[in-house]
Amino acid sequence: MSAPGESSAWDVLARAAAARSATAELRAQRELLVFSLDGASYALPIERVREIVRPRKLTPMPHVPAEVLGIISLRGEIVQVIDARQRLGLPAAAPARGSRVIVMTAEHGDITGLLVDGVHEVLRVDESALRAPTNTEGGLISALAPRGDHFVSLVAPEFLVTFDAS
Amino acid sequence: MARRSHKGASRRADREFLSEAEEILERMRDDLGACLEQAGAGNELAPHTLNQLFRSAHSLKGLSGMFGLEALAELAHRIEDLLDAWRLGRAQPTPARLALFEESVELFGHALEQLANGGLAAGFGETVAALIARIAAEGSTPPAARAAASETVDAPPALLRALTEYEEHRLRENLGRGRAIYVVTTVFDLSSFEEKLSEVSAALREVGELLSTLPSPGSGGPGEIRFALLAATDLDAGALATRLELELSAIHTARAGRNNTPTRPAPTAPGEGPGFASVDRATPGDALEPAAESEAATLRSASDTVRVDVHKLDELMNLVGELALERGALSAFARRLAGEPGAAKLGAELEKIHKALDRKLQDLQASVIEVRMVPLRQVFDKLSRVARRLRLDLAKQARLEIKGADTELDKLIVEELVDPLMHIVRNALDHGLEAPDERRAAGKPPEGVIRIEAWQRGNDVVITVADDGRGIDAERVRAKAVERGLIPAGAQLSQRELLDLVFAPGLSTRSEVTETSGRGVGMDVVRSNVSALGGIAAIASTLGAGTTVTLTLPITLAIIQALLVGVGEERYAVPLNAVREVLIPDAGSLQRSGSRELLALRGEALPVLRLREEFGVRSGAPPAKPFAVILGLGDARLALLVDRLEGQRDTVIKPIQGPVRSVRGVAGATELGDRSAVLVLDVAALVSSALRAEAA
Repeated sequence: MSAPGESSAWDVLARAAAARSATAELRAQRELLVFSLDGASYALPIERVREIVRPRKLTPMPHVPAEVLGIISLRGEIVQVIDARQRLGLPAAAPARGSRVIVMTAEHGDITGLLVDGVHEVLRVDESALRAPTNTEGGLISALAPRGDHFVSLVAPEFLVTFDAS
Repeated sequence: MARRSHKGASRRADREFLSEAEEILERMRDDLGACLEQAGAGNELAPHTLNQLFRSAHSLKGLSGMFGLEALAELAHRIEDLLDAWRLGRAQPTPARLALFEESVELFGHALEQLANGGLAAGFGETVAALIARIAAEGSTPPAARAAASETVDAPPALLRALTEYEEHRLRENLGRGRAIYVVTTVFDLSSFEEKLSEVSAALREVGELLSTLPSPGSGGPGEIRFALLAATDLDAGALATRLELELSAIHTARAGRNNTPTRPAPTAPGEGPGFASVDRATPGDALEPAAESEAATLRSASDTVRVDVHKLDELMNLVGELALERGALSAFARRLAGEPGAAKLGAELEKIHKALDRKLQDLQASVIEVRMVPLRQVFDKLSRVARRLRLDLAKQARLEIKGADTELDKLIVEELVDPLMHIVRNALDHGLEAPDERRAAGKPPEGVIRIEAWQRGNDVVITVADDGRGIDAERVRAKAVERGLIPAGAQLSQRELLDLVFAPGLSTRSEVTETSGRGVGMDVVRSNVSALGGIAAIASTLGAGTTVTLTLPITLAIIQALLVGVGEERYAVPLNAVREVLIPDAGSLQRSGSRELLALRGEALPVLRLREEFGVRSGAPPAKPFAVILGLGDARLALLVDRLEGQRDTVIKPIQGPVRSVRGVAGATELGDRSAVLVLDVAALVSSALRAEAA
């Protein structure tokens, strides 16, 4: 049907394309949502973020740890809002103008609101650029991602949305 | 992704099969119950019931085949054959054959259960094959040489030739019973004959049996149609003519009955008269085959209702919720517009449109909730079936009296009620009612009565199951409870508290385990099932006179009515079905008793719970005169003190999502109209923790 020379030219092209896609896969990119707490930058994997809303009036819950600020209604879904500052052992602060609630999904499918000082950007990082943290802060920091000339701390999402002892 | 959607599709198909097969099987069980009853009383099985069963088996066969369930289709086919032989009189429904039939229906039921739980169990095919083999072995008696019944009947040959095997069989049966056989000739206007014919047919069925209907060409004028109806009845021709409002000449006696003296119609004109030899049968193509007619009747649906998967209703409910959200956005936009200097008028108009939309949305929501409501009848029907069977097994004489079957409840609740109610009825039959001899000795009628009643009371539905049996011996319950280590030997318990132990896990008041109710499922499961639905199970009994079990259930899980209360800046929702009364206590009626506080109410001392302290509310100052919301759970009472009452709302309880899995005293939360979230109190937890504090 086709000349042998032609066939081998196609072959070369196909191999090149396959090689390109293989490299792309190797250089997997991570998308991280960068937010700030007490002047420092943190990040969460974007696939765990469902949406970001402005803080609204919270309804407090009785008999809960201090970092559980209360509940809000999110289009009929009732969601607990956690103070990310207190959860990470930082000093508490009242919500300010830039404050946002990041609505995260937990592994078991529930959603949880996370109050942060501000949300800044979605950062694309090569997997290979992630660094192991020097101090995991007891498991809550899973990695460090480069951002400009400094690093943001990648927070382990399960740490935020699951309380083992409460 | 593709795999998932395929799986979804096949699941949907399964559900369709299940829901339809369930429906047919349900009907068959009903008819089977009727058959067993007739056979038990030594009566002949009603032809109408056999026909219905035959049709059901036929539909089941078709349905199973359509969904590729070969083993089931084959089984249905055998059942169909069995029933066909019965209804045609080719075989007698002996007890052994009835038992096989019953077993087949049960096996079908098991198959549906297995399918609902993911698929037929391994080896199910063999079970079916074994049963089919047994049905084949039981066989049908070869048809005895029967004289053609038609030969003994003086009716037009064309009419007799057209009889189907079934009709011929029915004719023979009626002749055997000594009924008179008539040919009724009717002439109807073409424009309205369907209606008229069904009127006459119905009238004939009331006084006997309509064996066959044939249209017959003949002396009918233009625009008219003639029918010959072959009927069997005990009436004489004169009475039949009167009953059918027909001239006597329209009725020809084909065979005089043994039970009456027929008045022979006088021939109108010699040689002519109702001379049937001249009336020939219509060409086959024109014939209105009776079989085809009944087939058509089954194709038409019996009622104008639709079966809906309850999950589809959930989806609908969610959609309504999302619509409400869009409405919110519209409202916000209208307000913004109204604030713009140039667009204020437009904004106001939009706001008006929005208000109308909002009202319709609320109607829509109410309708969706209403659709979820189903009458208890389906559960009660199941109960009477089970009771009928058990009564035979247990050799007890019992009558089931049912009242309030039209009472409606949320579909999901009704589903969950089947097992608990079944267990209660079984218990009543098995343990509650005495054997006929024992009843006679106690001066009671030998037939026991189990009375099931349901009625609505406010937001609840109350169901009682009462028997007039031997009652429960509270002291025997005590002995058993002590033996099982449920209570200490010297425990001070009232009669009511002792009876309540019946609901405790691991207590069965009868030592021997019976096939009927001794299957390890006890009243404890009844109580936990009912509690899971937000209901209450209670028992009352009088020794020698009977036992009554009372279930109190919310009408719907989807929406509850709540009393909104305020403490400081916070608001809470209290399920209204737990609120007994609300009052402002006098300063004197609240008293300290050690570390606890009590409310004196009509001579009773109720434990007091201040919600402000219980939930650690710090905002606002506690008022001098708080409101007391009296909460009741069964017989337990608690006075909940709050700052304010804020009215009554319909609310949807939602789970609280997030890391804290459960909070003492909180059942969930709900969104109020202004989009704020409000906690819903868990009354059961609050009352029982207050009582525990009391007892400590």
